[in-house]
Amino acid sequence: MKYFQPYSVEEAIEIAHASESTFLAGGTDLVLHMRTGKAQPSGLIDLGKISVLREIKEVDGFIEIGSMATFAELGNSELVAQNAYALWQACQSMGSPQIRNQATLGGNLGNCSPAADGLPPLLALGAEVHLISQEGEEFVPLSTLLSRTPLLGQNTLIRGFRIPITGWQSGFSKLGRRRALAIARLSVAVAVEINGTRVENVRVALGAVGRRAFLSESLGRELSGLELNGAWLEKGVLEVQQIVREALGARASAPYKRTAVSGVFREALASIITEGGTQA
Amino acid sequence: MIEIKLVVNDKPYTLEVEPSERLIDALRNRLGLLGTKEGCGEGECGACTVIMDGKTVNSCLVLAAQANGSVITSIEGVGNRRSPHRVQKAFVEVGAVQCGFCTPGMVLSAKNLLDKNSKPSNEEIGIAMSGNLCRCTGYDKILRAVKIAAEEGKE
Repeated sequence: MKYFQPYSVEEAIEIAHASESTFLAGGTDLVLHMRTGKAQPSGLIDLGKISVLREIKEVDGFIEIGSMATFAELGNSELVAQNAYALWQACQSMGSPQIRNQATLGGNLGNCSPAADGLPPLLALGAEVHLISQEGEEFVPLSTLLSRTPLLGQNTLIRGFRIPITGWQSGFSKLGRRRALAIARLSVAVAVEINGTRVENVRVALGAVGRRAFLSESLGRELSGLELNGAWLEKGVLEVQQIVREALGARASAPYKRTAVSGVFREALASIITEGGTQA
Repeated sequence: MIEIKLVVNDKPYTLEVEPSERLIDALRNRLGLLGTKEGCGEGECGACTVIMDGKTVNSCLVLAAQANGSVITSIEGVGNRRSPHRVQKAFVEVGAVQCGFCTPGMVLSAKNLLDKNSKPSNEEIGIAMSGNLCRCTGYDKILRAVKIAAEEGKE
């Protein structure tokens, strides 16, 4: 197996173009998959030495996050905590301290596990993905990208993400078998635009419900343009259960997740709605 | 084989490693540092924890090549029988060690916490130690030992 350790994005995509190699981000999934034989790359392009890919910064009304920013770095970022709270919460609870120090947001998307913790918050926050290859670069809404199969072309590098700074409030919650080190059995991220006592717009994304994380457009429509109160929350609970029912069908985990999602949905909203249904 | 440069426990090394070789393999097999233990081998248990550039990582999930240019502290670099680190002293005093397999990783997670935060709260200690599993002690004595080591460091 070949191993490349480029120092620039340009060099990385050149190598990707010229060889059949796989991009290596933090490696917390790929190193394991190589060991079990699930992944058998003919070469690796280690992105760890490209310092621009680690940046987290505010640019023209967006938070720009390099694909190699780790969960720990995102979880320590005041910019993320202030403007992308759901993502910040997800980064606090993913894996363990050791995993968070190594695992990256770009790797989370590249590996694209159904339970990937970073994806529901990014979906709810309206994130776009910055892709780059020898053919050029583009920004693709994450929700669009996640509907593509395969997710990415062999030579395409996830350069990073950008999240619009909108003033929406957001929250994330997940269900695991224990608090640390547990793969999410179910996760929910919600972002809401609140105007006075009214919920103008809503985006709800679910993880570990089906093959990939997804944004529920119908749920967003149903819950938008309403007064923010207890009745709104209960409507949301019923609707989200319906979404899980539709997504999971007759799978063995369906009855469990259909019930559990109501609690996870409420928890995701806990930072937005205080007890009694008033605005935080 | 590829060439990497590492500083391990303050000593510089240049090593030839396989691209698929993990950091734990390089530490144990090439440098003979057997204090780093492999438990689950899949990043769940934290027994293989080392400090890499000031951050704890599972050395079973890091390729040796990824660690190229890094500064690593393994348990051999923390203290020894004659002059144990205060975390190690506290582990012995409290009886936080039973079978001992998780202990090197536990000590490194605790040391790294105290290096960054000399007055951690109980919650901060709990989070810092959450990536290290112990199947013997029930954690109570481990957390108490970290607390004691933190108190000692404040003086």
